[in-house]
Amino acid sequence: MSEDYNEIESALRSLRPRSPGPSVAAGIARALQTPARPAAPKKNIILWMSSALATAACLVGVFLFSRNESNSLSPEYQLVSAEQSPAAVDILSPVELSDGSYARPVRLLWNNTTHWADAKNNTQLIDYRPAQQLALIPVETY
Amino acid sequence: MSDAHSAQDWKVWFAENGARLRLIARQWTRSDADADDVLQEAFIRFWKNQRHLPGNPNALVVTSIRRSALDLYRSTDRRSHREQKVFADSDTMTWFEPEVDPRLQALTDSLPQLPNEQREVVVLKIWGDLTFDEIGEQLSISPNTAASRWRYAMEALRKLISARTYV
Repeated sequence: MSEDYNEIESALRSLRPRSPGPSVAAGIARALQTPARPAAPKKNIILWMSSALATAACLVGVFLFSRNESNSLSPEYQLVSAEQSPAAVDILSPVELSDGSYARPVRLLWNNTTHWADAKNNTQLIDYRPAQQLALIPVETY
Repeated sequence: MSDAHSAQDWKVWFAENGARLRLIARQWTRSDADADDVLQEAFIRFWKNQRHLPGNPNALVVTSIRRSALDLYRSTDRRSHREQKVFADSDTMTWFEPEVDPRLQALTDSLPQLPNEQREVVVLKIWGDLTFDEIGEQLSISPNTAASRWRYAMEALRKLISARTYV
């Protein structure tokens, strides 16, 4: 059926709509050049906080191990590495909140891996912790 | 048309798409000035908040335009609930650049004469680059209804062009 209208559809596509007035572009430029509030993306905040917590845990661990020198037979672990894997981002379907607005849940999944080694007795301690965070990003609707 | 998802410079994207977006805005506004206002507000919202969202950017920007147009309509004329009033000055429209080809000029003259519900389907399909499914979502109608309005519009345009060309 649509093939019957190919000619007229093609003619329609060749029409040239009038461009918006220059005041529109000027207004958009003003609005987009206004410095936005320096709000860091939620994902970055979550990753930064997780990284800080993992680092703090590592430092506490190192401190505790380094203090324990009274018994020469006890392990003497040294921190080898503290790594955080890249986050996998799952963007889920929008949900309606209690106030009637809508938000899109975003789930971040990553792994924190801390590695200690004791050269004296050739042992290793690896702390592997999967982690996840769920954030809600507001969605504008009408 | 370049993809808004990856576009970095709004000026480039707007220069390429502004005219067709304005025509879409014009379908839901009283005047050219209102269409410009709606387009400006809708584009800012789209570019700031929505262009990176998943989905068809055409549908997203059309949604933003329709929302801005409805907001403007509600804020400026709460007394009238008849959508027909929105198109009260349709006979003074300057939607397209003038055409040298008499057949194309007949088309530009004929399009505004379509019933509103047919014309918006034509505009969303041709200049919004939306599918009938997407048009249905925009207008809260079924895809079959959108396709039906499209067919009626094509038939009407064919008759109007013939009348204008051969009279």
